[in-house]
Amino acid sequence: MTQARKKTTQTPEDESGLDRRTFLKGAAAAGAATAAAMAAATKVAQAAEAKPAQPEGEANMRGDAFISRPGSDFMLDVIKTLDIDYIASNPASSFRSLHESIVNYGGNRKPEFLTCMHEESSVGMAHGYAKAAGKPMAVLCHSSVGLQHAAMAVYNAWADRVPVMMFAGNGMDANKRRPGVEWTHCVQDPAAIVRDFIKWDDQPASLQHFAESTVRAYKMALSPPQEPVLITLDIDLQEEAIHGEKLSIPKLSLSAPPQADERALREAARMLAGAQNPVIVADRCVRSQEGVEALVKLAETLQSPVICTGNRMNFPSTHYLNLSENRPGLVRNADVVLMLEVQDPWGMLHGMGDPWKDIRRVAKPDVKVIQISLADFMMKSNYQDFQRFQPADLAISGDSQTSLVPLTEAIKRELSSTRAAELAGRADGLRKRHRDMKERMKTAAALGWEASPVSTARLCAELWNAIGNENYCLAVSDRIAWPKRLWPTTKYSNMMGGSGAAGVGYSAPGAVGVALANRDKGILTVTLQPDGDMCYAPGVLWTAAHHKIPLLIVMYNNRGYVQEVMHLQRMAGLHRRDPKTAKVGTMIYDPEVDFGKLAQAFGVYGEGPISDPNAVGPALARALKVVKSGAPALVDVVCQLR
Amino acid sequence: MRMAILLGAALFAGAAFAQDAPKGSAERGKKLYIDLNCHSCHGTHGQGGGRGSEPSIPAGYPWQGFFNQLRKPRRDMPAYEEKLVGNQDVADLYAYFASLKPAPAAKDIPQLRNF
Repeated sequence: MTQARKKTTQTPEDESGLDRRTFLKGAAAAGAATAAAMAAATKVAQAAEAKPAQPEGEANMRGDAFISRPGSDFMLDVIKTLDIDYIASNPASSFRSLHESIVNYGGNRKPEFLTCMHEESSVGMAHGYAKAAGKPMAVLCHSSVGLQHAAMAVYNAWADRVPVMMFAGNGMDANKRRPGVEWTHCVQDPAAIVRDFIKWDDQPASLQHFAESTVRAYKMALSPPQEPVLITLDIDLQEEAIHGEKLSIPKLSLSAPPQADERALREAARMLAGAQNPVIVADRCVRSQEGVEALVKLAETLQSPVICTGNRMNFPSTHYLNLSENRPGLVRNADVVLMLEVQDPWGMLHGMGDPWKDIRRVAKPDVKVIQISLADFMMKSNYQDFQRFQPADLAISGDSQTSLVPLTEAIKRELSSTRAAELAGRADGLRKRHRDMKERMKTAAALGWEASPVSTARLCAELWNAIGNENYCLAVSDRIAWPKRLWPTTKYSNMMGGSGAAGVGYSAPGAVGVALANRDKGILTVTLQPDGDMCYAPGVLWTAAHHKIPLLIVMYNNRGYVQEVMHLQRMAGLHRRDPKTAKVGTMIYDPEVDFGKLAQAFGVYGEGPISDPNAVGPALARALKVVKSGAPALVDVVCQLR
Repeated sequence: MRMAILLGAALFAGAAFAQDAPKGSAERGKKLYIDLNCHSCHGTHGQGGGRGSEPSIPAGYPWQGFFNQLRKPRRDMPAYEEKLVGNQDVADLYAYFASLKPAPAAKDIPQLRNF
């Protein structure tokens, strides 16, 4: 900003073009000259004489002065070095110059501008996309009203440890702000609203500053723990001409993820190799198929059951060591628990009653806890997503995925042939427990099979029946537990977890972002979409249709915010009052939302509402044809409440 | 679901059985079940929920256990006192559950054979 102002006052013109202030001066001078040449120029000339120095900024714009190379062109040059394919945005004047640079100077390719209808949708899409693509999407928004809209989605991405590359337009120089809305939309410290839940931000004051901070931000976003970052785009820096200064774009060199300390891993290996009932808990542990395979090797080496929390697809559901649905029993009997990037270690070992907050210790008092995590590196004070403190017997800072292979090798070194044979002897028992667990899940899924509205188990079984032969991805996999319980899941890309902070509104845009990332990979993307979530910002359906993003959206439409129904029931019971009123303020009917028509209104194939369980399969088959043709489709299924 | 099964088993030994339940109206019980929002956790067929913490109500659940769980529930379920849900209401609710057709076995459901 300072640099830009200096240039406008000291260097009126250079070979690169005109800055905004020079442009206005030029327009004023040209206007005066033209008027003097006209027959009826007397009065104008007198006025010009009376006001020899027309105040800057008050002249009328004219079409004969141009900015040949705005700063935003260079900004785009910088962004293009970062391998960013898409930039999601609801258009706004504070980044109009960069917007124009993207679509004209950059040819609207890498990044391609994604038209969004809400900033929460932009960030939600970027969030889902990053988990599926393994790299960030960029987001453009106003620094004031845009970031305010986006904030909840940014918090979701933060809690889910997902990188998002955000840019926010802002006018720092009050002397140059247009009166009215531009003032309303400008902020002294734009990042303040999200700084508690982003990794880093900067407000560059020059183009060179922008280049260095943007590359730095991208690098930081991708270094585990991965998190959102924010760069502010000054309006004048975007719109003023690039002057003669020598600009350079720093080379991007990503940091290698931090592997845990070797000595600490040896100690962990010693504890695990000697354990009688070890349990591995994997939360946001892996971020690729390579990580899944490394965790399988670790578990097989130890013959240890694995509890996968579902926030990432860490471990195949088909593997006999996946005993995720046996969690309470496993934790209760464990003598050593290895926690891999677990967000809530205390909650793994304890329960808490509601509403009396009575603590139920699940784990043995002398259980040994090993934590491998980067939590200490991303914790901030204000927002409490870091959960209750759980002491560990061995706390190791490090990236879990990167530490899996050296930990496995260290365990192998600890195992004598006798001990290795002992561990191998666990396998038969664990296989049986896995089979029993699966049978138990199927028996439970059969309950309410013919129910109308459709049971959530039936819905998930019907969906699998439609897509089971495909290379599939369930974009948001935490809203209903049945896919995790039933579906054969073998790849990291099969399930993308949830929102992170349980902020309602993620599921719809998150799924669209996942589907966009999967579009070119030949992966069929489906999602189980809650109705309350869809009602937050349904305009993302239009974005999916407009950008031809194939996604099968299956509405999990229970016509309410049912979690809250349960809370009200509990409160009514405690207060000894009528439980029937729990529907008030929590249910979404009278009128009922017709999501099939909603989809159609946004240009998306839509069917429903469907309450007959036997009608679900055929509807999914019809919608799947649409998705395979390259477009989104929605099937509205009216479901049981949970 | 596990919680309900364990609870049912614990209550089973000394409990009265279904034939000892007071006479109730299944039709009225069904309406009451929805009005009281019981289905928000347990599902319209007592099948429980898909989020991991909503217990099913197993077929053959003993009357006395059913009654006790409503009045003085274990764990996190809210209590339904007599002044709000009378004894006849409880009998009607129980009659509704007794009237439900048993779920098919998982092995007999083609869509579940894939898993």
